[in-house]
Parts: sequence; structure tokens; C-alpha cells
Amino acid sequence: MDGRQIMTADEIRRAVIRISHELVEKQAGTDGLVLVGIQRRGVPLAHRIAVAVEEHEGVTLPVGALDITFYRDDLSLIAQQPVVKGTQLPVDLNGRTVVLVDDVLYTGRTIRAAMDALVDFGRPRAIRLAVLVDRGHRELPIRADHVGKNVPTSSDEVVEVALVEIDGEDAVRIERVDAPAPTT
Amino acid sequence: MPELRVGKIVPLLEISRAWLVDPVGEREGPGEIVVRDGILEAVTWLQGAEADGIGPDGVLVLPGFLDLHVHLREPGNEDAETVASGLAAAAHGGFTTVCAMPNTTPAADEPGVFARVAGAAAASGSPVELLLHGAVTVGRGGERLAALGELADAGAVGFSDDGSPVKSAILLRNALLYAGMLGLPIVEHAEDVTLTAGAEANEGLVATILGLKGWPAAAEISAVERAIAILDSVCADAPGARLHLTHLSTAGALEAVRRAKAAGLPVTCDVTPHHLGFTDEWVAGARRWAWEALDGAGTVRDPWADGALVAHPYGTACRVNPPLRGAADAAACLASLADGTADAVVTDHAPHTAVDKETEFGLAANGISGVELAFGVLLAAVAAGRLPLARAVAALTVGPAAVLGARPGRRGAARGLVEGEPADLVVVDAGDRWLVTSDALASRGKNTPLLGRELPGRVLLTVAQGRLAYRDVAGDA
Amino acid sequence: MAMSASRAPTPPDVAWRKKHLLDVDVLSLAEIQLVMRTTDAMKEVLARPISKVPALRGTNVTILFYEASTRTRVSFEVAAKNLSADVVNIAASSSSVTKGESLVDTIRTVEALGADMIVMRHGTSGAPYLAAEVFSGSILNGGDGWHAHPSQALLDLYTMRAHLGDVRGKKVVILGDVLHSRVARSNVWSLTAAGADLWICGPTTILRGFDAWAGRWAGGGSPGHAGFTVTSDVEAALRDADVVMALRLQRERMDAGLLPSLREYAARFGLTRERLAVAKPAALVMHPGPMNEGVEIAPDVAILDRSVITEQVTNGVAVRMALLYLLAGGHPEAVTNA
Repeated sequence: MDGRQIMTADEIRRAVIRISHELVEKQAGTDGLVLVGIQRRGVPLAHRIAVAVEEHEGVTLPVGALDITFYRDDLSLIAQQPVVKGTQLPVDLNGRTVVLVDDVLYTGRTIRAAMDALVDFGRPRAIRLAVLVDRGHRELPIRADHVGKNVPTSSDEVVEVALVEIDGEDAVRIERVDAPAPTT
Repeated sequence: MPELRVGKIVPLLEISRAWLVDPVGEREGPGEIVVRDGILEAVTWLQGAEADGIGPDGVLVLPGFLDLHVHLREPGNEDAETVASGLAAAAHGGFTTVCAMPNTTPAADEPGVFARVAGAAAASGSPVELLLHGAVTVGRGGERLAALGELADAGAVGFSDDGSPVKSAILLRNALLYAGMLGLPIVEHAEDVTLTAGAEANEGLVATILGLKGWPAAAEISAVERAIAILDSVCADAPGARLHLTHLSTAGALEAVRRAKAAGLPVTCDVTPHHLGFTDEWVAGARRWAWEALDGAGTVRDPWADGALVAHPYGTACRVNPPLRGAADAAACLASLADGTADAVVTDHAPHTAVDKETEFGLAANGISGVELAFGVLLAAVAAGRLPLARAVAALTVGPAAVLGARPGRRGAARGLVEGEPADLVVVDAGDRWLVTSDALASRGKNTPLLGRELPGRVLLTVAQGRLAYRDVAGDA
Repeated sequence: MAMSASRAPTPPDVAWRKKHLLDVDVLSLAEIQLVMRTTDAMKEVLARPISKVPALRGTNVTILFYEASTRTRVSFEVAAKNLSADVVNIAASSSSVTKGESLVDTIRTVEALGADMIVMRHGTSGAPYLAAEVFSGSILNGGDGWHAHPSQALLDLYTMRAHLGDVRGKKVVILGDVLHSRVARSNVWSLTAAGADLWICGPTTILRGFDAWAGRWAGGGSPGHAGFTVTSDVEAALRDADVVMALRLQRERMDAGLLPSLREYAARFGLTRERLAVAKPAALVMHPGPMNEGVEIAPDVAILDRSVITEQVTNGVAVRMALLYLLAGGHPEAVTNA
């Protein structure tokens, strides 16, 4: 991947630890918390946050994965149907505080779809949002409760998050959309 | 000649540096022709240096073609074709004489219907000669002989119940005897209808995979063998009896004719361009020529394995009776032209309306609109080295003329390039190609699987009996 | 999903580019696997308290069945509704045809009424191909004549995989009237693409055509498809089979002179406990339904099959949801034969 690196592996690690402290502080503890990672890269992030919480609180939070493909508002506009990754929720969401976890917050439409999906599973007491990167340009009234890094971007840029579990490395990069395709 | 209209005598036509084919004189080569006031005034064969650079891949001058088997839907189904549109289509295909089948509504089983059709031809102003087959049985119902003598007096060139076989063996026998007395052939559509009830496509791999009811080769082969046996039993009593088997599609049927001819029986037969050029693969969506569907060892290829499927399957333009057969049968049809077993190529031109064809395959009418495309298909075979040009031309000219036999009062030459006779010829640019589209077809029937495909050979000019029958508007002669 | 630091590269996602689903013959193995994975996701949706997602909201799915069939038609209807599509159900019968309304006219009318997708079943082979030529949206073939029943074949494959894991190398036997069966033909394409050891078995009058097909594919098969075996020897076919699928035998076959009697068929080819004994002990018994108990399948075997039937019903809805979802994407190019 080309482009300018805006977070290193260490910076990602520290952001995850800080977020794990913040969400416990906001909840005044760990009771009722459920981490739900949004497919795809939100899922390993949610697991890392749970590991960090376990290390400093000694409590294992339940972690789920949520596929929002069926709830996207742009299905009729795109060329082919996106491939579905799958949803696994380990606990009943009724009355719980769900913390949605995603890698990049941009227009807010993914989070809107995620909230629609969650209410089909039950009625959470509250829904919060934790993201690794907030790049601005919201199109809906959505905001994150916990942010790893705020990165101002322009709309002709793309923010690429790489995570070891999926991409073999930890890094966050910004790339211009009209940059020449990398030679492989 | 830009102002000349169809039907007018050609005042002057000079074609130099063309490839002439004269099947009567059995000669082909570089040459020139001159037509003056409708007469073929001069045919000059070029030699030596003058002949340099002229080959059979350029402009061809050929005798006008003769089609023994077309369906002009008038009277009764003029939406599909009229005599006028059919003759215009024939001229576009290079045909200067066509023989119309009697399966109209009403059937041409008595002279009154003949008069109607002949009147329509005269009114059309087309110089293409229209000959008529009479029905064998009343209403083509297969029960009683039609007025064969009256039809002969009215000009019939043969008798056929085409569309159906003459189902009753005794009727076929009597028809052969009676028509033989009149000096005319019975043109039989050989089909055992008990084997083909509900059949949709050639019995074989394609029909199996597509879930279509199979049309067995045996239905044609057994009917051909039956007809030949009946002919054998009568020709001792009636020396004039003649059997002509039309649109044969199977190797087995052609083999039966080969044996019968070797035994000296008065049998002739024809094949169609679609049976020698297309295969049942086309129903699955292939569009490669029949000779391309066989590999080097002569094994039939699998179109699914080859990636040969380029068009929608179940195209009803591929639905025809007899059905498009496998590649081996198609190769047999082509070989029968080369070895003389088949006397002629006919088009079995069968135009249909969109209503009759734009429907489910199993419900679609049978028939391919082919009179404008016949020579192009044969040229493709010639270009692929599968058929000599001389044989292709003979199959459209002297071959069918011999089947009809000498006819008293017939003007013009027996399909050759003969000086002093009224000009009856077609000029084709064998080096050009044309795109088959709905608009390009003069026939009302657009039901051909070649729609959207390019064919070799563009007919530039057709002259029938000294009069202009067709002129290509894209170029000039 | 494993959360350990796995560095294994994830397989590339095959995109679904087909505008229509008319038969399984044009699907590659990768596309079939995509359908299987998407069906897994749909099964998960069906297991939720609210088994409905908004993926096809605003899409009009018209179900046009020319043949009476409650089971498949309702399965498609439930599938479409679970995706929040607007469903219009038309049970056209042959009387519409005799009244003079051609298939082409009907499709044009349905399009004018706002259909985005048509699920159709028709008694004539090839009818959905004609519909696909005149309809601007997507056609999903719910069964045409003897030719194809793609959703059934994919559902059968899904069920087999659920029980056996991969079907590659597993012996699958289809027993019965294959000649007139669209289920059989579609299963030949899908099972040979998936690498199963497929056997087709029945009386010789009914096998004709299929033996030539198997012969053409022998010795290496067709690209992307393994060869298959055709035999009238029931015992050889059933020996060590992992899956036995019995096909319905209809009375009309006797009337057409293909078989002496249904009793004789049952005696020589019927799937009984004794015959089934030579198959693997845990062999899966399947039947696309409806069954003629006592003809192609003995009543005591049909009871074994019953547990699979309920599963088949759920799987059927899930597979059809997956197909509707995949077909609903926009399509940059129209592909022939697809």
C-alpha cells in the first residue's frame, strides 16, 4: 500500500488501550457492556478492546460481529451485491449497553445501518460508538463516543486501515483516490 | 444503369474482369459479359495476361439460381409473405426461378388457386419466374388424390403435400403412377409422423441437455426407405414415374438414396443450406458452421465444453422441420453435394410472422426464412474449402433444372451462360460481406438464426429473363 | 470467525455478475460456492427473532407460475418477503394461454406493472430464456419444462454439504425418471461442478440421452465438470452411496409406453430398505417431492427421509433468499446464456 502513514502499530495499540479505559469510565464499570464489531475490521478491533479491558479490569466482555450488508441504503446503486460476511451475537442485547466498534467513521451511513440491524435483534438500553479513526464529512447526524484519532481528510482521499488479523500488519494510511494503481 | 427499375428490360450491361461459372458448358474462369436489350449478347473467356489478377474471390457472374422449394404464403397467410415480397426476396438471393409449395390456405389442389397465385406474380411486376407445385391430395389431407391432371394442364411442375408426408402408402403408390403418366415427379416430404409426435429438436445431446423432446433420425430414414420401396414397386409399370425427396437431413436417408440411384431407380433428392451449414448446437446457442463443429478426427464437438455458445438458447429461428441435425449429418449433406447424391440445394424458404415465432420453443412454428441467405451459406462452405465453387453453383442451377426436366414452352437457357439467350444471371461480389438485419431482408419473414451475423458474398445484380430483378443499392453495376 | 492473529490470506470474493439465473450450467464452482456462503448468512437471518432484513426494500418481485405448485411458490414468496421486497403473485394457468395471451405479452404487462424481478415456472423448456429476452429486469427460473430448476439443485447441494461437508468425491445417486426431470438435469450440472461422484440410475427407456451425455463427458469430463456414470444396475448404483435422491415417477410415463407398469418399476427400481442397505449406513435420502410412496420410494424409507424434508424447507427459503439477494444487484452488462 502506498500513501502517507498516519498511525503506526504502536499508536494503534495505545489508542485501543485508551478507548478500553474510556468506555469503562463512561459506564462506571463493566456491567451490561457488549462489544459489537462491524464487519469486517471492526471485529478484530472489538476483540482487542475486550482483551485490553480484561487486562485492566479482569472482566471478559462479550464480543459479537455484525454484518450490516443487508441494511445498507445504497444496494440498488452499486454494481454487484456485496458479499455477506455473517453476524454472530453471543448474548441477548435486550437491556444491554452495546458499544459498536468500527475502524473508520466517515459519512455515518454504516453506523445508521448498524443501528437498524441492532434493533432487529432486541432493544439495547443504550448504543455507543467507538472508532479507530474519525475522518469527518458526516452526512447523517452521527457522532462517535470514543475516537482513536481524528484525521481531517478531503473527499478525494481514502483512509486504509490494516490490521494484523486480516492484513498481516498494523497501520493506518491515507491515499489519494486518483493515485496510480500500485504495481504488484 | 441507375434509373432502371425492377421489371424493366436491361438495355446495356457490361461486366469486365469477373469470374464466370458456366455449369452447362462445365467451364469457369476469368471472363467478360455483355447484355444488350435483355439478351446475353457476348460471353468472352479471358486468357493469358488479360486473365491476371481475376479470381473466384472477386466478382462472380453466374447463371440465375433455381429454387425447387419455397413457401410463399399467399393465399392465406400474407402477413408472413406475399407472392410479391417472396419474389423480391428470391431476387435478392440471386434466384431467377422459384417453385412454390402448395401448402397455402386454401391449398393449391385445383387450378383456381394456381390462377390466383400466378395472377399475384404477374401483378407484382417481378421478372422472377414463379413455377408451382400442386398438392398430391385434396386439401393435403392425405385421403384422396387431388386433380393431378388438371393441375398439370395448369402448369404444375411437380406434386407435393410438403409440410406433411403422403401418409398412406397406397396413395403414394398411386400418386407416383399417375404423376409418372403425366411426366411429373412426386416431391415427398419424408417423415414418419408417429415417431415425431410432439418432437421439438434433433434427438441427441443438445435435446437431452435442453430438455426438449427428441426428433429421431429414424423418422426420416424409415420414411425415405418406404418411399423408395414403393417407387421400386411401380417403376416397372410406369416408366415415367419419378420420386424427388426434398430437404433430406440425415446421413442414413442420403445413403438410402445413394443405394437407390446405384440400383438405377428414378429418384432424386435435395438438401437445404441450413441442414448442411447449421447444426442442433445452434438451438443451444452456438453459431459456428457445421464443419467447424467437428474436430480433426471427425468427432462431434461439445458446444458447452468449447465455449461455442454465443447466442440465446432456444432461439425459435432454429426450429425447423426436419430439425437441424448433428454435425455428422450436416457433413453428410455437404458430402452428398460433392458426390452427386444430392441433385440440388433448395432453400425451403419458410417465412413466419413474429407472432408465430416469438413464443416458447415448443409452441413455435417450424421454418427458416432462407431464400436470401442460401448462396452466402454455400460461399462460406466454399471459402472453408468444404465445397468446390462449381459444385455449389451447379447445385443451384443445372442440378435443380435437371430435376424439373425439360418443359415445353420454357424460355431461356437451361441454367448456363449461353450467348443469344435472354439474360438470366446473377452477379455476386464474393469478396464482400453483408450484415443480415431485419431491414436488409426483403422477405417479410425475419425468422433466420443468421440475424445479426455477417455472411460472405453480396449479390450485386440479378437479371431474370432479360429484366432487372434486383440491384444492390449500396453499389452500382 | 477466528480472532487469533491469522496471517492466512482471505480468499478473493467472487462477485455475482449474472443478470438472470436460468440454469446452473453457466455457474462456475466459485459462483456456486458464493451462493452457498450467502445461504449461510440467510440461514442466520432466519434464525433471528425477526427473520427479516431490508436488503430488497423497494424491489418488486413478481412470482409468475404457469404450473400449479404450492410448495415452491410459497418458498419464493416467503424468501422475497424476508428480504422486505414487494411481492406480487400471479398464478397464470394454461387458460391464459388459450385465451390468447402469449408469454411475451404477459411478461411485458408484468414489466409495465413495475416488476424488477420475475420468478417464473413454466411447463415448456426454454420459456424463461424467451422471457429474459423481453424483460428488462432479472429472471429467476423456478422450473421450466424438463430443462432446469436451478434453485432446487442449489438447495439440494446445500443440504448435502450440511450433512457431508464437501461433496467432492462423495457418491451421489439420482434414481428415477431423469428423462423428464429438470431437477435431475440441474443436479448433473451442479454436482459435477462440485466434483461429486455422480451416478444416474433407472430403466434403459428412461436413461436414453443421459448415457450419451455421460459418454461425451467421460474421461476427464467437460471443463469445470467431472464425468458421471449412467447405469440401469440399481445395486451397483447404490453400493456405498453417500446420498440417494429418488425422483418422482409419473403415471403418464406408462401411458407413453416407456414403462410396463408402476408396479414393475417399484419392484425393480423402487428405493426400499433392502436396496438402501448396500449404501453407506448414514446415507442421506432425499426426494424433491411430492413423493409417490410405494412407487419410487417405499413408505418405510420415506419416513427416514422425513427429517430431511423439514430441513429442506428451511434451506429452500434460505437458498432462494440468497439467489434473490444476489440477482438484485445492478448489472453493468447483459450476458447471453445467463
